[in-house]
Amino acid sequence: MIQWFKSGFSARRSRQGLWGVPLVIAVALVVILSLGTDQFATRENLFNLIAQAMPLLIAAVGQLFVILVGGLDLSVGSVISFSTAILSLDGPAIVLIPVVFLLAALVGLINGLVITRLNVHPIIATLAMQYVLLGITRILRPVSGGTVPDVVIAAVQGSVLGVPLPLFWGLIAVGLAAKILYGSRFGLHLFGIGGGIAAGMEDAASTYGIRVSRNIVLAYVACALFAALAGVFLAGRIVSGDPNVGLLFELDAITAAAIGGTQLSGGVGSLHGTVLGAIVLALLANGMNLANVSPFIQTAIKGGLLLAIVGLQSRKKMGL
Amino acid sequence: MSDGEPACLIEMQSISKAFGPSRVLRDVSLRLRPGSVHALMGENGAGKSTLMKILAGVHRCDEGRILKNGKPLHLPSPREALAAGISTVFQELSLLPNLTIAENMFLGRELLMRGGSLDRKRMRAETAAALAELDLKLDPDQLVSTLSIAERQFVEIAHGIKADASVLILDEPTAALNAADVEVLNRSIRRLRAEGRAIVYISHRMDEIFSICDEVTVLKDGQFVGTRAIADVTPDGLIAMMVGRELADLFPARSANLGKPVLELSGFRATPKASAFDLTLHQGEILGLAGLEGQGQQRIMRALIGRHAPAGGTLRLHGQALKFPSAAGGIRAMARRGLGFVPEDRKEEGLMLGLSVAANLVIGLHAEKPAFAPARSLKGVVQRMTDALRIKTASSATPVASLSGGSQQKVLLGRYLAREVKVLVIEEPTRGVDIGAKSEIYTLLRDFAQAGGAVLITSRETVELIGLCDRLAVVHGDTVVVELPAAEATEHSILAAALTAEGVAA
Amino acid sequence: MTHPILRRLAAVPPAYWVFALLLLTLWIARPNMLNPNVLGIFVRQVVPLGILVLGQLLVMRVRSIDLSGGGVILLINYIITSRTFPEASGLTFIAMALAIGGTVGLLNGYMIAKRRVSAVIVTLAVSIILVGLVQFLSSGKPPGDVPKYMNEIFDIKYGPLPLPVLFWLGCTGLVWLVMQHSVYGRYVEAVGESAEAASFSGVPVERTVVMAHVLAGLIAAVAALVQTGSIAVGSVRVGLDLPILAVAATILGGVVFGRGEGGVWGPFFGVLSFALLFVVMTVFGIDEAGKLIAQGLIILMAAILYGARAKRG
Repeated sequence: MIQWFKSGFSARRSRQGLWGVPLVIAVALVVILSLGTDQFATRENLFNLIAQAMPLLIAAVGQLFVILVGGLDLSVGSVISFSTAILSLDGPAIVLIPVVFLLAALVGLINGLVITRLNVHPIIATLAMQYVLLGITRILRPVSGGTVPDVVIAAVQGSVLGVPLPLFWGLIAVGLAAKILYGSRFGLHLFGIGGGIAAGMEDAASTYGIRVSRNIVLAYVACALFAALAGVFLAGRIVSGDPNVGLLFELDAITAAAIGGTQLSGGVGSLHGTVLGAIVLALLANGMNLANVSPFIQTAIKGGLLLAIVGLQSRKKMGL
Repeated sequence: MSDGEPACLIEMQSISKAFGPSRVLRDVSLRLRPGSVHALMGENGAGKSTLMKILAGVHRCDEGRILKNGKPLHLPSPREALAAGISTVFQELSLLPNLTIAENMFLGRELLMRGGSLDRKRMRAETAAALAELDLKLDPDQLVSTLSIAERQFVEIAHGIKADASVLILDEPTAALNAADVEVLNRSIRRLRAEGRAIVYISHRMDEIFSICDEVTVLKDGQFVGTRAIADVTPDGLIAMMVGRELADLFPARSANLGKPVLELSGFRATPKASAFDLTLHQGEILGLAGLEGQGQQRIMRALIGRHAPAGGTLRLHGQALKFPSAAGGIRAMARRGLGFVPEDRKEEGLMLGLSVAANLVIGLHAEKPAFAPARSLKGVVQRMTDALRIKTASSATPVASLSGGSQQKVLLGRYLAREVKVLVIEEPTRGVDIGAKSEIYTLLRDFAQAGGAVLITSRETVELIGLCDRLAVVHGDTVVVELPAAEATEHSILAAALTAEGVAA
Repeated sequence: MTHPILRRLAAVPPAYWVFALLLLTLWIARPNMLNPNVLGIFVRQVVPLGILVLGQLLVMRVRSIDLSGGGVILLINYIITSRTFPEASGLTFIAMALAIGGTVGLLNGYMIAKRRVSAVIVTLAVSIILVGLVQFLSSGKPPGDVPKYMNEIFDIKYGPLPLPVLFWLGCTGLVWLVMQHSVYGRYVEAVGESAEAASFSGVPVERTVVMAHVLAGLIAAVAALVQTGSIAVGSVRVGLDLPILAVAATILGGVVFGRGEGGVWGPFFGVLSFALLFVVMTVFGIDEAGKLIAQGLIILMAAILYGARAKRG
């Protein structure tokens, strides 16, 4: 246990990345905010914090899948907006909800196929997808509006036995991801493929008989599905469809993963680190709101944080 | 090969393979029998690794076919080869550094529990057992990135054995191992043979071949020379089969008179653990760093341009004391002082493959100029170099990727000759180059030395070092263990020198 | 793709095909739009993009990318229109703009070349910081008017040729000169083809990449000045989509990460294609949403074309 704990601070001993750093930051932020403000440690604020953190956490977990194989998905934010737009259409929940996930899977599939089969750089492919999806979303819902199925709203708002419902969303998402990443062949293969790419041995994984392309495609599908889950959650929170709700979400998700010690070159990262990264971002936003910091400068601070965090990760390759 | 022998397990028939313009294999056949160890021999570049990569599904052959138990095998990727029971331990390490030993061991064939999730406990236990068979005491949960090279090599071997394959290919498995390790490995190989598997064993070490193998197939320049029972051949006979050409014709005459010292290393320590040595390169001389592969030759060479940070020592160039160059500007700084470094990996480190012959030739000259100076076309230089080096190309605008290996290597050399350097430091001057071009490159280097230059080379081909150099420094364990005139050296004496040093060190 | 002529045709950057196709569409659908005055106005609109592309193609040639141009344009636009410096002359604004662009470029280059951070992340983060800064300074409200003389310069025409278009041509010619006839151009070519081989040839690889980013930053500053001249009132959203469009136009023009068959003029026609695309979409009454989809698909098509070619090559 102590050994495992130590590994969070040593880049060499594990492939989980430096998750100890966000842990320290998160604890420090909690201490500072509880001591420094009266409002932080209130039930109301904590409920609010959890609800705010959850969509980012879910999206970041999805992003982790593609970052592990050395990719990036810039279409996450548009998938989220797109999902809220679909949910706000007229129709029964039993149809709309499966449709959201089906379409998200399709988006991930296209991303993955374009990247692996057509040899397009992930950044370009998912950027193009972002544009297309934004366009479609604007057609479906030019401005924010419409209503979301009651089930979704009921599943997001409120609490059971004093535990806020959003917490269950997070637990389910993380539990599912843990099962896939740590408990399945697919997850292990993702680590293997990414480790090979990061070490400059692109072919290494395939010499073990791993289907590299197929696994990468599935990583993008997983990422899009988690983004859709985040979208459904957000729709329940804002009770409508909004073409702009997912704006810049992909960057927050990448920032969360990066703060959590995930290395963008692939093969190194962890679920708990990513969750901690999302918590740090949520705590920062919450704290700055409590301290009445302008929301505009908050954006700038988040950008600075991302820059500082990735600046500390050294890698061999120069460029994209 | 004709009498009533047991049936073949694997038969590779008339395999041919070309990479771009260079033909690596021509009509090569190989028959593997169950319960036997088959040595595959030949000089570096003879096509052994390519042949094995075809059998492992990494490369696809252009012509020929592969039969297993008489039935044709289709091997479009390693996956199918593994499924057909062909397991490979590659020469280059291919373990994934961010996975644990156990995970690497079972990668692609993980053990699952009934629910479909990974059975880490069982994989760990079986890995520990497999490692124990090879006398290894390693924690299965250790990340591969934390292992030493020899440990990785063993894990790789354990992985290959663990595959439960009927055919096991070992491509230079002992390169990073010491004598005791080799004995452990041999024990495992004998056990696998007793179990009826077919094993392909690639190695340069004669003693290993004669102690463990049953048959040997020799390749030369991508062509099949012959298959013999080990009992029917002698080491000298094998070397004759591998070499089989008049070496003397290939190499120009050595130079008689040496000039002043040009490059002097003293008290040089390549790594903190290595012992210090002195080395001097004279004007007019070709000096070779010989020895077993990966004994630190590359570290010594690359320290001269800042790609390896030495642990200590001093450097003098043309009599002037210099600091060891830094990684950042080392190549530029040394080139300015008249030292050109020709890297080993022509395709990755040497040439800009998509650019023209001309661009590749003159980029070094441009690199001397300030960034915003006008770039002259330097047509004269290009013409002079193409003629002098006899580079075979349709035009100087042809992308260098479409040239033959020999012409590519000449372009690479030409880049440094165009800068009129005085010292050439060359890793592998003729890797993947055909015989004709080899001979031309040897003459070129000798002419360069005669004209007052000095050359420091390494090569995997000891024959080349002996034939081309004036003097050899045998490197072992990151240090020069002995220097000897090339004219008196033999492959045997070099190996003996290196291995004696090992005995002393151990 | 085996016949030499077919192969030669396939090597033509997609920008030329798209440009020809759009011109044909326009000629069939609205021949009256094809007069120099109308086209001049449309082309003038894309001049900021056209200038920004010059920086983008430079960094993409060395296998990097610059998405920070939007932030640079926004900040410079804000400084000029907010009257933070009421006494500043045009020359002062130019100096300030270049200083901002150069600094941002230097930061990008340092992080990418020396610290080896992902170029996408660095330049996006820098852009976010700059955008957040401007929104903070302006509290999200539009700043103020653009100085009159800037609009006037932007409106100058020589016959049917607007001055900004001529300026764009001049800038493109200058970059062409540097790429084609300077040592730096050779460095860029070598680094793009193989950074490792370039390094062993004695090319200062890191410095080449840093310089590309500094130049891209300076070019973004120039684009910001032209962009500011093109609008009457400052905005807190101006130019934000330009970097992505610049990537698209560059790829369309036959320049992808490390490879540059399209040279400087391929991306030039990539930008012209976008100008025509906007005309065509306006003509056919396609709204904002349709434009987004079309842009996404064009980026994708161009990237796929090059991805397929790179694989084959």
